[in-house]
Amino acid sequence: MKSREEEYKEIFIGEALEYYDALNRHISDLEKNPENDSLLAEIFRLLHNMKANAKAIGYIHISELSHKLETAFELIRNKKLAFADEAVTILFDGIDLLGELINNLDQEDYQAQDENIIRNLDIIVQTGESGNKPGDKAVEVAKGPKYLNSKNIQLSDLIYIQIKKLDHLLNLVGELIIDRDRIISISKELDHPDLTSVSSHLYRLTEDLQFSVMDARLVTIGSLFNKFPRIVRDIAVAEKKEIHLDITGQDIQIDRNILQIITDSLLHIMRNAISHGIEPAEVREAAGKPAVGNISLSAQSDRDMVQIKLSDDGKGIDLNDVRRGIVQKGYLPAEAANELRDSEVLSYIFEPGFSLAKQITEVSGRGVGLDVVKNAIDSIGGRIRIDSEKGKGTTFTLHLPTSIAVKGALLFEVDSSFYAIPLMHTDSVVALDKDELHEIGGLLVADIKNETITVISLNEFLTADEKTMNLGSKAKLQGVVQNIIIVTYNNRKLGLIVDKLFRQQDIVVKALNKPVDIIEIYGGVTLLGSGKVCLVLDVPALTRYFLTKK
Amino acid sequence: MEQEERKDKRDRKVEPMVHLIVFKLGSEEYGIRIEQVKEVTVTPEVARMPKTPKFIKGIANIRGDIIAIMDLEERFHIRLPDDAISLGNYKNTYTLTLEASDYTIGLIVREMPQSLTIPISQIDKTPAFIQDLNINENFIEGIGKINGRLIIVLDILRILTSDELQQLRVLS
Repeated sequence: MKSREEEYKEIFIGEALEYYDALNRHISDLEKNPENDSLLAEIFRLLHNMKANAKAIGYIHISELSHKLETAFELIRNKKLAFADEAVTILFDGIDLLGELINNLDQEDYQAQDENIIRNLDIIVQTGESGNKPGDKAVEVAKGPKYLNSKNIQLSDLIYIQIKKLDHLLNLVGELIIDRDRIISISKELDHPDLTSVSSHLYRLTEDLQFSVMDARLVTIGSLFNKFPRIVRDIAVAEKKEIHLDITGQDIQIDRNILQIITDSLLHIMRNAISHGIEPAEVREAAGKPAVGNISLSAQSDRDMVQIKLSDDGKGIDLNDVRRGIVQKGYLPAEAANELRDSEVLSYIFEPGFSLAKQITEVSGRGVGLDVVKNAIDSIGGRIRIDSEKGKGTTFTLHLPTSIAVKGALLFEVDSSFYAIPLMHTDSVVALDKDELHEIGGLLVADIKNETITVISLNEFLTADEKTMNLGSKAKLQGVVQNIIIVTYNNRKLGLIVDKLFRQQDIVVKALNKPVDIIEIYGGVTLLGSGKVCLVLDVPALTRYFLTKK
Repeated sequence: MEQEERKDKRDRKVEPMVHLIVFKLGSEEYGIRIEQVKEVTVTPEVARMPKTPKFIKGIANIRGDIIAIMDLEERFHIRLPDDAISLGNYKNTYTLTLEASDYTIGLIVREMPQSLTIPISQIDKTPAFIQDLNINENFIEGIGKINGRLIIVLDILRILTSDELQQLRVLS
């Protein structure tokens, strides 16, 4: 695991090398165009940034050298020094030295042979400042060693990549794994030694591949946590409260998309903690607490999960208020509510609509939109828990998976239930008039874009009794215009008539739990943002089902 | 043999007790040992799951876990009393979350389940007539009697591991 310093160092090196490349480009251009002011300004800006970044992270060599170069270029910009003759050589050397220093940051015992270059730089700066022409000193300049020019071309070790590309890669891996599992089951059936050995090798390779792709998507939680000090300060100022924020565990790694999804949730909980959890200073002091409210935000890794905790030492939640709310909102009768364990009582805070109980939110100050937070966490297969003690404070614990597999899917409705089909299996979506469907051989057939495609009504398939099911009857279809999703599998196309088409969406497919995990036509299940359960149809199984039927 | 066992238990000074969660199916009362019940909740929205046996009502999201919801009345072919309300969209019903060794399943019940502690001696174990009942495969652990109530104690682990659930495989 990388420490924060190492991460910062990598980022610094990545950026510095980019600056270095840009500097080289610009200074070469400048040599041909010494009068170009915009080039000079750009060089000046790059050096200035490099100086500031290096100083911030403590690379004094780099920051000092950048400063000297910056000074020299300032003189050139102010026409006190001509970008010609020795000055050009010296400045090129200086920039080379900069690259050398950046490239050797990893070598602890690296000692740059920089005396000559630094001295030469000092000389041209002095001469520029004093307004004299470099005289005999220039001879000395030329004697400086040229060892730096012999270095190889260096490309940066870091690349920027769009998360979209990594998503695509992960989806491909997901598909590969589905096919791999099929190959493995076929190999078990055939029991051929060669096939067995190659499929077990394939298994190891794909596992490795999946792991590597997931690893490439990991970022440190610090990239989110480090935004909080400022946010907390702003909310605290608005609420006229003083907050001490303690952050730990920034080094823990997590999938970038998971971090993206929980960002709003974490912000929401943080806002609640500051505005409703932490009491005003005078109330705290009266209760014998320090006037400054404490909030801690921590991350911890726990096997395949990451645990994020947000604790405050505020007023906590009064369980009896929540119990009253449960009864008031009609979730449970009073005697049942009283029997609930404390942890169960608190879990009702996440129920949709619970937050609307005015009395509750006024008293405890919690619960506004916590169902939205919970849905977000659920949708990535995580969990959220709340612990609270009246007068002592509240802790939210988020258990999150470190990685997710997201798939694009098409959502639709059949018989008032939600279903999804992964986009990798959808070909197109068409709307056909009922007249364009023909009853042929116990099935419906349509001519779509000059292709004859078998079409079935998903409503009939999913709801009718096996014995009376009639997939070839137009009489069963409702309405005139039929929405049809064309799916493909093994180059075979099948049209599925759905009741209502919704949008395209990225979903996280969860495997079904026992005992319903053995029903082949379902590839899994996903939770929609609304908290509704949505079954994911497995197109290969569905098409196989029809092949065996016919 | 059994008689002796029961006598032994009665002779002990502290009567061992069984803690049951009691609910109604049809017009009779049934009980499940509390260790086998993970939690009791108001039934959340149940998404139908076509191509499953009738006693699987669908799947539901209970605290982030997607679990199958089972209707034991349907399962045991229990005839409902004539005044029974229809389950409708499961509004006002409760779900018992049961934990088997390798999975969790929800059980729909019409009324708020109660918790009840009865002496183990009051559970009549496998009397001969149970074999004749409609509920077969020995799902019944015994018949509990307390204060004139008769409670059918179910062995839920056996229900969850029975061959009947393997029916699912045939359908797919």
